Amino acid sequence: MDELDLLKKDWDKSTKKYPNLSKEEIYSIISKRSSSIVKWIFIISILEFILWTALSFFGDSTEVLEKIQANDFAFIYYTMIIISYIIIFVFMYLFYKNYRNIAVTENTKVLMEKILKTRKTVKQYVIYNLSMMALVILLGIIMELSTSPETQILLTDIESKGENNIFIFYLIITIVSLIAIAVILSLFLGFYYLIYGLLLKRLKKNYKELKIIANLE
Amino acid sequence: MKLDSEHNFVELLQKHQNIVHKICRIYTDNEHAHKDLFQEISIQLWKAFPKFRGDSKFSTWMYRVGLNTAITLYRKSLRTIKSQPIESVGYKLSHEDYDNTKDEQLKLIYEAVKKLNDIDKGIIFLFLESKNYKEISDTLGISEVNARVRMNRIKTKLKIQLNA
Repeated sequence: MDELDLLKKDWDKSTKKYPNLSKEEIYSIISKRSSSIVKWIFIISILEFILWTALSFFGDSTEVLEKIQANDFAFIYYTMIIISYIIIFVFMYLFYKNYRNIAVTENTKVLMEKILKTRKTVKQYVIYNLSMMALVILLGIIMELSTSPETQILLTDIESKGENNIFIFYLIITIVSLIAIAVILSLFLGFYYLIYGLLLKRLKKNYKELKIIANLE
Repeated sequence: MKLDSEHNFVELLQKHQNIVHKICRIYTDNEHAHKDLFQEISIQLWKAFPKFRGDSKFSTWMYRVGLNTAITLYRKSLRTIKSQPIESVGYKLSHEDYDNTKDEQLKLIYEAVKKLNDIDKGIIFLFLESKNYKEISDTLGISEVNARVRMNRIKTKLKIQLNA
């Protein structure tokens, strides 16, 4: 077939026209995946932030807010909100920095360090979020106990029935709160595992592959 | 060729990168897609490298993994390849690579090849690489007879297209 012969001739002739990548370029092509994973970590952290902020606007929290303002908790409440926003923005900045850094990294060794750093930042972020949540739940319980009129009535009621009862009451409250905190935290831990854990796993795999490359450099 | 397990992957890929570029040329239409596919194939090769035992030549193995990657990707209904833009990798493809040639007839032939389905592209690619039917069937995992039949059909298809 004439056409095929023509094609074959041209094909053989064009061999020299292809790009010739250096070893370094090939390294960085293989390691580029990390940068897309880290980019996703950054994007997801922003989406997560938007989600929580949106939820807090849509949820009907007027009653709670009134309660907070009516009592001495307003100061603690607003301080915590401001601090938590600052910390979240710091984390978002760190995620962004990690992404920028990884995107421009060329050297395998440096890239490996950056991957480790990203993993560390994400872990700190998750730990921070979970501790913050535990703290908020704890404060909520304390606030409810010390300010709600119903609880006050209940407390005096129990107290009048004997010294021991109040001790048992607090014991039950403590146990129930601990269980509640544990359940809520594990739910969130599962949530974080799903969105960040899987990305971190891929990063780790990438890291291991890079380690092999680094050994041959 | 003595292979010290994983330690010379990059070296080998660097040396034989032409194979990957050529696969990209057959399967993609523009520079951007070429780079994406090149990256994807490189990553797949790297992932599969621990399984490469050295009982075939590295280049032979590259043909197989590279073509399988291209075929699998394009089988997913031409879904765009997910990958990072690799601008930081400063290689440039000259425009003529996709212009192929000024020769009008050759241009038409290349266009006709681009219209073939994913497996047929693989067959014609291996044919252009001067592989015999045994090698073609081994690389693509089809029988030798099937390879011959398909090659004949490709010739007919190209003829019809070019004479249309």
